[in-house]
Amino acid sequence: MRRAMLFKSNKWWLIPAFLLAVALPFFVGAYRLQIFIFVITYSLLALAFQLTMRVGLPRFDVAAWWGVGAYTSGMLMLKANMSFWLTLPISVLVSVVLGFAVFSVSVRRGMMVFMMFGMVFALALQQVFGSVKFFGGWGGTPQLPPVTIGSYVLNDKMWIYYLGMALLIFNLGVYQLLYKSRIGRAWSAIGSGLRLASSLGVNVVGYRLANVLVGNAFLALAGSFSVVYQAMIIPTTYGFQQSIYVMMYVVIGGLGFAMAGPIVGALVLTLISESMRAAQQYQPIVTGVITVLIIMFAPWGLLGVLRSRVVSVLQRLLSSRAALPDIPSSLGSPASVTAEEPGKDA
Amino acid sequence: MALLETRGLSKSFGRLEAVKDLDLTVEQGELRGLIGPNGAGKSTVFNLITGFDVPTRGTVWFRGENITNVPAHKIAQKGISRAFQQSYLFMFSTVLENVLVGCHMSSRAGALREFLHTRSARMRDREARNKAMEILDFMGMAHLADEPASSLSHGYQRCLGVAMALACEPTLLLLDEPVTGMNPTESAEMVERIRRIREKGITVILVEHSMEVVMNVCERITVLSYGQKLAEGLPAEIQCNPLVVEAYLGKEEA
Ligand SMILES: Nc1ncnc2c1ncn2[C@@H]1O[C@H](COP(=O)(O)OP(=O)(O)OP(=O)(O)O)[C@@H](O)[C@H]1O
Ligand SMILES: [Mg+2]
Repeated sequence: MRRAMLFKSNKWWLIPAFLLAVALPFFVGAYRLQIFIFVITYSLLALAFQLTMRVGLPRFDVAAWWGVGAYTSGMLMLKANMSFWLTLPISVLVSVVLGFAVFSVSVRRGMMVFMMFGMVFALALQQVFGSVKFFGGWGGTPQLPPVTIGSYVLNDKMWIYYLGMALLIFNLGVYQLLYKSRIGRAWSAIGSGLRLASSLGVNVVGYRLANVLVGNAFLALAGSFSVVYQAMIIPTTYGFQQSIYVMMYVVIGGLGFAMAGPIVGALVLTLISESMRAAQQYQPIVTGVITVLIIMFAPWGLLGVLRSRVVSVLQRLLSSRAALPDIPSSLGSPASVTAEEPGKDA
Repeated sequence: MALLETRGLSKSFGRLEAVKDLDLTVEQGELRGLIGPNGAGKSTVFNLITGFDVPTRGTVWFRGENITNVPAHKIAQKGISRAFQQSYLFMFSTVLENVLVGCHMSSRAGALREFLHTRSARMRDREARNKAMEILDFMGMAHLADEPASSLSHGYQRCLGVAMALACEPTLLLLDEPVTGMNPTESAEMVERIRRIREKGITVILVEHSMEVVMNVCERITVLSYGQKLAEGLPAEIQCNPLVVEAYLGKEEA
């Protein structure tokens, strides 16, 4: 019991991980740094996916809302000459309001409808971005104006990287506060037992809606962030395929790990596909096979494997007879992913 | 005014009429037994009362309010809680966390304050924890508060289900076969607790297969058979009602 507590509170690895992330720009060149900027962006996307998994809703519209953020910021900068920083709150607002319109229809109809609605919406939205003249067509928007701070032009990869890190840490902080609060408790309850939660007075539809919209807000921020390091916005970047990759990041990192899972997954997969640049056409196949293998042989993901290794080493060190729990309960479970019961959705 | 009243309550699953024209009246403070052979529709009645199933026909009134089409979580908030027939728990959470979900709605501090963990939110959180521990203590499982729910014995899982329902501070508590699968000691303890719950002023409807338990603890009993009310009355009356005897014996012979 006490040992389990000790193990749980063991967050020492956060410090070296943070220091390593901060020091990274001093070790890698501009090209490599850009890859890590992608990792940050993909982590943000994966965190939004992981957030709604918390309430038993897999979403495959992640990239579409990411695009909403990018296009909102990009269009306001291009057409209204607005400062990038001013577009941030507007981009969040657009994503949340539009999201509310879509999700207030789909969330109350359960997981399947939510999923299908999201995919259809994502597909339609990409078509809009691609074929409506206003957005610049399939070839992309015109050249975006540079992002500036006062008179300083933000084009140094290092500062873009730090901006992304700040965004990521902000995102993690907000999630942490949410997960620790009563709201987070209600979310986990919904994820691990829909009917049970509603029998205890938890408004399933309301809490799910709030959850998805929090995700939307951060997806919009990630979209706006992508404007900083791109010369122009191309609609296919925000396509359906990216949403599937996001799911793979989360599965590979570990579904039970609310914060580290998405980041580790995004990091590993991005590095793998980057190392395969020469054989690009095989890259989806390789990543797909890796994902399937992980699902089959390590359902807790890479972090799950790592943790059970650490646990078994600790066990040997402490030579404890009582088995430590494989995964602390506070981390949720992959079971929560499939916990949707048929029948009335409260 | 009765606490709970159903009028012509019916539920069909395809061609099967699981509940048929049920008129049920439960007064404040009662401990009502609801019995019937397997498949008589007892759990379905609970589902209809708590908003888990939508009735095909009929209405449900709670404290004079029509709650027929009210969603399940609102009904729970109005004061009807239930413990499920299956041990239905948040298996990956601790016992305490399970009960805390039940305390959820009675401990709201406003979403923003909750989010920012203000002092008042933290205080309410502590209050909720204290309340949850009290309830666990009452159910005789305070020592298991930090164990994962999945590690509990069957008997304690049943107890936890009741504890979670109690955490919602119900006016009306629906218990669906709470002692099923328990050993005689556990079962006797549970019966004693049901009595004490009732003494606290909570109205209870108890579905139970064990005749001994029902006859022992309920002062009024309703008998269902094939979704219809077969008889209603005092335990002694029910015990010697030929219709009831036949329904049960007929079932056994089949
Ligand atoms: N969701 C459903 N879909 C179809 N049929 C159902 C459904 N729920 C219950 N039934 C059927 O309705 C009838 C009544 O079921 P119910 O569970 O209410 O009985 P019960 O009295 O609780 O029985 P038991 O003592 O076995 O718990 C049964 O024949 C059952 O098969
Ligand atoms: Mg039943």
